[in-house]
Parts: sequence; structure tokens; C-alpha cells
Amino acid sequence: MAPQKFISEKALKVWRLTGLFVSLISWAVSAGTIFLIVFFDWPRWIIAGIILLALVFTYADIYLVPLIRWKRWRYDVRESEIEIQSGLFVIRRTLVPMVRVQHVDTRQGPLLRKYGLASVQISTAATIHEIPALDLYEADKLRRYISAMASVVEEDV
Amino acid sequence: MSRPKRLHPVAAVSTGLRMLKEAFFPLVILLVFGGGESGSWALFELIAVPVIILLLIGYGILDWFRFTYWIEEGELRIESGIFIRKKRYIRFERIHSLDTSEGIPQRLFGLVKMKVETAGSSGEQAEATLTAITKNEAGHITEIFNDVKRGGKVPSAIRFETDRLQNFQEEKVEKDRRVFQQSFKELFIMALTSGGVGVVFSGGLALFGQFEELIPYNRLFVGVEQFINGSFVFISIIVVFVLLFAYLAATAGILLKYAYFTVTKSEGKIIISRGLFEKRQLTIPLEKIQALRITENIIRQSLGYASVYVEYAGGSILDKESSQIMLFPLIKKEQIQVLTEQFIPEYKIDVEINPVPPRSFRRYLFRVSIIMIPITAVFSFFFRPVGFLSILLLPIGAIWAYLCYRAAGWNISGNQLQLRSRVLSKQTMIFQKKKIQAVYSEVSPFQKRTRLASISATVTSGAGPRTGKVIDLEAADSERITDWFA
Repeated sequence: MAPQKFISEKALKVWRLTGLFVSLISWAVSAGTIFLIVFFDWPRWIIAGIILLALVFTYADIYLVPLIRWKRWRYDVRESEIEIQSGLFVIRRTLVPMVRVQHVDTRQGPLLRKYGLASVQISTAATIHEIPALDLYEADKLRRYISAMASVVEEDV
Repeated sequence: MSRPKRLHPVAAVSTGLRMLKEAFFPLVILLVFGGGESGSWALFELIAVPVIILLLIGYGILDWFRFTYWIEEGELRIESGIFIRKKRYIRFERIHSLDTSEGIPQRLFGLVKMKVETAGSSGEQAEATLTAITKNEAGHITEIFNDVKRGGKVPSAIRFETDRLQNFQEEKVEKDRRVFQQSFKELFIMALTSGGVGVVFSGGLALFGQFEELIPYNRLFVGVEQFINGSFVFISIIVVFVLLFAYLAATAGILLKYAYFTVTKSEGKIIISRGLFEKRQLTIPLEKIQALRITENIIRQSLGYASVYVEYAGGSILDKESSQIMLFPLIKKEQIQVLTEQFIPEYKIDVEINPVPPRSFRRYLFRVSIIMIPITAVFSFFFRPVGFLSILLLPIGAIWAYLCYRAAGWNISGNQLQLRSRVLSKQTMIFQKKKIQAVYSEVSPFQKRTRLASISATVTSGAGPRTGKVIDLEAADSERITDWFA
């Protein structure tokens, strides 16, 4: 059974904003390349190709990728385990037993803070798992819940 | 409580030598390349080099002089540092393992080097090294460590009675019931079939780089008669000999390193010792073993041999060797079960591996061909006459894909999970449920269409996370493994 809970819908906005920045960079790179092409008098059809590519990337970065990512991202925190599903192309499901959790963090970058979001990072002895962009309240609640559940069964590595 | 003690003076020599070794190349560079012919520079060299060496030796002595250690209130206390004093107090309960090794300076005086490892995944700060202490002293510290581990207290009064120590050692020998000793024949096979091949390759590449000016590569492609060019044959013979020599040297190196490889089990600990000139001893508490790994490279596999490693949660990130521990360097495959059973009975080796379904072979083949076909195409196109040889890559790739496909498989028996796969060597990871940190299952759209999936499991080890993976198994099986773990 796949995990059921979605992450905050506002995550979509945050990711789109990040996508916007990324595509701005790709436009800057494209502009530089176009300048070089004009300067060295290379065939002009390359310019059209670059613009097309940049458009496709912009569409993907701002619209498509965040949407698919958001739809894929699910999580479930149960009494004895945490299950996370993520992925764009390949869908990855991660299962972490509660007893393996060593500590839980919530983190907030400037973008996440602006939208009142936080991400939850779950660390085991070997791995770190992230649930990105939950509502701040939800994230805090989750952090408290996981750390309480994790300390119930203490086992040395 | 005991008085602060110094290490054996050999430690000063050992530290000085180490510093000298580190300074060796800069010194050589200074000597060889620094010089002009002018007199003043030569004079500078004449003075500078001995001064630097003296300084290093002086540093070694000072460092030794300022290094003291003692045992107090259940702690191993170390103070060190020439200018900046470092105090490190390590509680015996916190100590993971005590590893002893003997370098040549230590062996001359019957001393050992003792490394104190704590559960520190935090790396370098977590451990301490006593560079040169007497064997009695080492035995004494080990004894306290063992007492504490058995739930006893640290004796408040420390006695240094050698006879007691000897008793203790005899006692220990009696308790050591299970011993594995690597036979010389197998050690030899291992040395021949291991990294030596890699050395040959890299050595060969480096040499070809060196001989670039001598070997007329450009002319080689012009005509076949150039192949029988006298100087070329001569140089090839030299190259072959040098490679052979490098190979033998590597083999000898491995023989020395793993000579007298012995595994002993005693009181919930596995003790591994090895080495001819530099003896190393490693103690692994059983409960710190995270997983078992069986590796078979193609040559060893065809001879029916395998190597068994334990993934161990101790050790430090810096010392990779101590976290990837060979349990049995090279043993016959059918012996693994019997031997492992004696040392780590939890792990069952001989179980039936569920293979991946035949339809996933196509995917294995596909993954290899998206690497091989472009390479072949590029070589055949751009290096027209010789490049066609790269077409040979295609059947090789197909065989490789088939081997990878055949190797892939999994098994669950009780609380144990086995994941087997091959990249170059066939690798079997054997996990216990309670040691697995996380399980991942992955499905790509293509896999979804053919109802396949990939599964991986991760454990911790001193050198970071360790993962076992099976690609393209039945989606239902992947589900079964996640259900088993949940």
C-alpha cells in the first residue's frame, strides 16, 4: 500500500519559484551562447534550437517537474515505521523503521519560511531522509511525534 | 589511579620517522629541483637539509616527552601536544575496540602500537593512539577494557604483576575455541588474483605514457611491417618484464600484508590478526557487525573461491581499512557456511537464491548496450581501421549483461535478507532485519510496464552507509521484501 499523505500544496509554489530561478540561469547561459554564435558567425539555425531548448526547459522547470514531483511525494508516519515515496521518473519508496531513527530535524530556508513551511529530516545511523515542505505546524508536530516514538524503543547500533 | 606515564622512547623515533616520511618528497624536490649551480644555493642545501631533519627528530622527541597517559576513575586519560595541550579523557565503557599493531620499530623492542576506538562516527577526534607501549601494558589496558565490558568495574588499584597478566593470557587461550587460519596456498591464490591485476593495468598505462616518445605510435598505424620494427619489439619486451615485475611485487605485498591471517572468536568478539612485518590485530565485537558481504570476482569465482567481509559499525571514516574487514580472505565457496556458522552463527549463507525473472534479462542487456553501442560506434567511425576492433565489445558486453543477470537474486529466511548482484564482482550482501537502516524500492515507468522493480537495503558502517541492491526483480517480490521489513 502506497503512502497516503501529501505534502503541503504550497510546496508547489516554492518549487515553481525555484524552477523560475533555475530557468533564469538557463536563459542567461543561452543568451551567452547566442552572443557567441553571432560573434563568431556560426550558422544561425543553432540559435533557434537553443531558444527552443530553453523554452522547453523553462516549461519543465516551472510547470511540469514541480507538478509531477508534488503528485509523487507522499509520506506516512506510522507507529513503527516511516514510509516516504518520491521521484520524478523512477518512483522510489523508502521504508525506515521507527527504532532506527536517531534524530529528527526540521529545517527552514528563506523560501520555505516565506510560505510558512518547513522540511523534516529524519536521520538514521547511516541515512538521512527528508520530507520537504510541510506546513510549519505539521512539521513540528511530526518532529515531536517521531522523536517520541523513536525513543520508546532504544537500541544500540 | 596510576601515575601519568610516557610511551616507550621508541615512540619518539616512530613519530620522527613518520614526519620524515611525510617530509621526504618535499625534501627530495628541494634537493633535486631547487638547486642552481651557484655556490650559495649548494651551501644553503648543505645546511638546510640536516637542520630540517634535526628539527623533525627534535619534534619527535618533544612530542614524546609531552605525551602522557594514565588510567584514572575508569577513564583512559591522555595529555599531549607540544604547544597546545590536548587532554583527552576516554571512558572505558565508551571504548569500542582496542586494536594493536606492530610496525618494525615496535617489533625490534617487543612493543605494540595500540589504537583506541570509540563509537565515534565523528571521525578523527574519537580515537586515540598509543604509538609504542610494552606488551604488558597493552595487555593490562585490554584487561581493564574486558573487565568493564563484562560489567565489572575498573579496579581502583592498578597492579602491574606480569604473572597475573600471563595467567590471563593463558586463560584467554583456553577460551579461544574457534580459530580460522588462512592456508598459505589459498593466500597465494588470493594474492595472485587480487588487486595485482589493477596494479598491472595502471602501471602499464603509466609506463606507456613514459615511453610515448620512444614508441612510434603514429607509425604503428601506418603499416604492419612496422610492428616488427626492432626497437619496438625490444621495448615491448622491457614493458612486459616491468609489468610482470610490478605484478609480482604487488602479489608479494599482499602476501606480506595478509600472512598469518588468523581469526579467533572469544567472548562475543572476533579477533583478526595478520601481517608478517607489520602485525595488525583487530577486535570486533559481534554486536557491532552490521552485515556480511561475500565477494567473488570472475577469476576467483571460476576457481570456486570467495572472500567474506564484515561491515562493521566501528572504525573511522579516515581509516577505511578498519571498517571494511576481511573475515575470510579467500575460502572455497562451499566452506563459507560451515565457517561463518562458527564465528557469526546468526548468518545463514546456504539458502536458495530466488533469481530475477527471465524477462528482466532484456533490461540488463539494454543497460549494457546503451553504454557499449555508442562507444563502438564512435570508435568504429573515427578510428576506422583499428577502431573496428571495438565491435568485440558487443559480445563481451552481452556476456557481461548475462553474468549480471544471472548473479541477481534475493532470499528471505527468517530475519535475514540476502541481496545478490554483480557489477564487476559478484556481491552478496547478507542483512539481519534489526540492523537494516532503511529499505528502498524503486519502480521506473518501464519497469512498471513489465511488472519489475528494484530493491535496495542500507546498513551503516564505519566508512558510511553500505547498500545492497537487486535490479529488476518481480514487483511482487519487491513488495514481499518491503512487507517483510515493515
